Amino acid sequence: MTHLLDIRDLHLAFKGLSGLTEVLHGIDLSIAAGERVALVGESGSGKSVTARIVLGLLQEMRNARVTGRVAFDGADVMTMAQKDRAALRGTEMSMIFQDPTSSLNPTFTIGNQFAEVMRRRDPKLDQAACDARATEMLTEVSIPDPGRVLANYPFQLSGGMNQRVMIAMALVNNPKLLLADEPGTALDVSVQAQTLRLMHDLVEKHHTAVLFISHNLGVVREFADRVYVIYRGRIVETGPTDAIFHSPGHAYTRALMDAVPRITGAGLPAVPEVSDDFLAPMVRHDGGAS
Amino acid sequence: MTLLSVQNLTKTFQTPSGPVHAVRDVSFEVERGECLAVVGESGSGKTTLANMILGILGATSGEIRFDGATLPAKRGPVHRRAIQFVQQNPLSALNPKRNIGASVRLGLDTYAIGPRADRWLKVEEALEEVGLPREMRQRAPSSLSGGQRQRVGIARALACEPELVVLDEPTSALDVLVQARVLRLLNDLRARKKLTYVFITHDLAVVRNVADRVAVFKAGQLVELGRTEQIFSAPEHPYTRSLIGAVPVVDDAELELRNKLAEGT
Repeated sequence: MTHLLDIRDLHLAFKGLSGLTEVLHGIDLSIAAGERVALVGESGSGKSVTARIVLGLLQEMRNARVTGRVAFDGADVMTMAQKDRAALRGTEMSMIFQDPTSSLNPTFTIGNQFAEVMRRRDPKLDQAACDARATEMLTEVSIPDPGRVLANYPFQLSGGMNQRVMIAMALVNNPKLLLADEPGTALDVSVQAQTLRLMHDLVEKHHTAVLFISHNLGVVREFADRVYVIYRGRIVETGPTDAIFHSPGHAYTRALMDAVPRITGAGLPAVPEVSDDFLAPMVRHDGGAS
Repeated sequence: MTLLSVQNLTKTFQTPSGPVHAVRDVSFEVERGECLAVVGESGSGKTTLANMILGILGATSGEIRFDGATLPAKRGPVHRRAIQFVQQNPLSALNPKRNIGASVRLGLDTYAIGPRADRWLKVEEALEEVGLPREMRQRAPSSLSGGQRQRVGIARALACEPELVVLDEPTSALDVLVQARVLRLLNDLRARKKLTYVFITHDLAVVRNVADRVAVFKAGQLVELGRTEQIFSAPEHPYTRSLIGAVPVVDDAELELRNKLAEGT
């Protein structure tokens, strides 16, 4: 099976005053075309830096040392020239961030920002063509009056609307891979549920692969086909979503699951302090891609 | 016995685009020792309500009674001490230029709690009570983890020996393992110190496990108020059902309950 994204033995270290600090200790992760894969972990576990390496952003930082293999659609992101990596962003791969309102430019209209994204793929597109395509995308994310929204600035729209605009914008160039970093965490639960369902349907329709980064296990369960659990820069468990949720094999995954309050009211669990069990070897469930 | 009583409380903000009714004719009571959860989406008036209980905002009409007496618009030190606040974002709630000890001590000095000579000892006891080492009083807020900072926020509120604590999304900025520990701590402290909580949150799974009763707000109005078990077994208002229907769940029992409640059958 060929992978759209294939990460092997990825290490990341930051140079600081006290020398090198390693934050990723050899990550293996792969995504097939059209597959929805979640990377779950707590803050500081290395989720977001992994996404930034896929985007080729950390490779350009002077104090970061990245080693390992990152293959995207057959090309090696690690050895690629800087300008080739830049050309991939916004066209072949795109990203959705946690807070939609602060990731849109407040000084341009939504229409202008759509045009900027579309011209990354085709610099010769005129405004009318951009608007037509943007209208189409906004309709796909169930925005009622796309013409008005295109003329609006981000601050004139609600958080939920901005999140939909972000999704539409991220998918407008038909990317092969969408990186979603905690999408919707800043939104109300019902709006979050709606946007996730919408995103789920859209990526399915367009056959877009997704790397879904989240700390929210409930959201992951609803969105992903396959899950990687990351703890302190190591993948501790991976497998199909059902297997992970029905029979978590690693002590850390079990602690995470136990710690989530339940609406069935099981009471508040006693959470173990950080234990050596959390550093136990990786548990791999069958049925996932290797 | 009723500790807090909110009667026909209304808050209207005048804005250039017309009046905004943030809280509309809300009435409820909180018993001493109880944990009342206030839930709703952003813009439902949860925080405005908290600000009125704390005396940060005055009401447009209606009244708030505390321990039998009407709370004045301008609160004196007795009431400010008795009603304490734990905020959502513990980093912005702590003065970055003060060490932890000084932040916790501020309330003790302001309300002249205990003899001056004993106050550092009291600060250390307050830190210990929330599971932090005494030495932490020397540290700066920026050197603490999110969970430690939230514990400091709790210690600071409790050092003032309050009767009522208003908690505004106290764990929503925390990781799930840290959240579980802080929630247990809050439960223990409430039992041990006979505290009363008004617990504001949008997380219904948290509510299920910490609250005695739940008040559901929508667009400034109280749409449902009931015992926690009742809300999570037979929610009556369609809005409550839709809120429960949107909760992300992790196990099959939850999924079954959620789908059953969301349908309202």
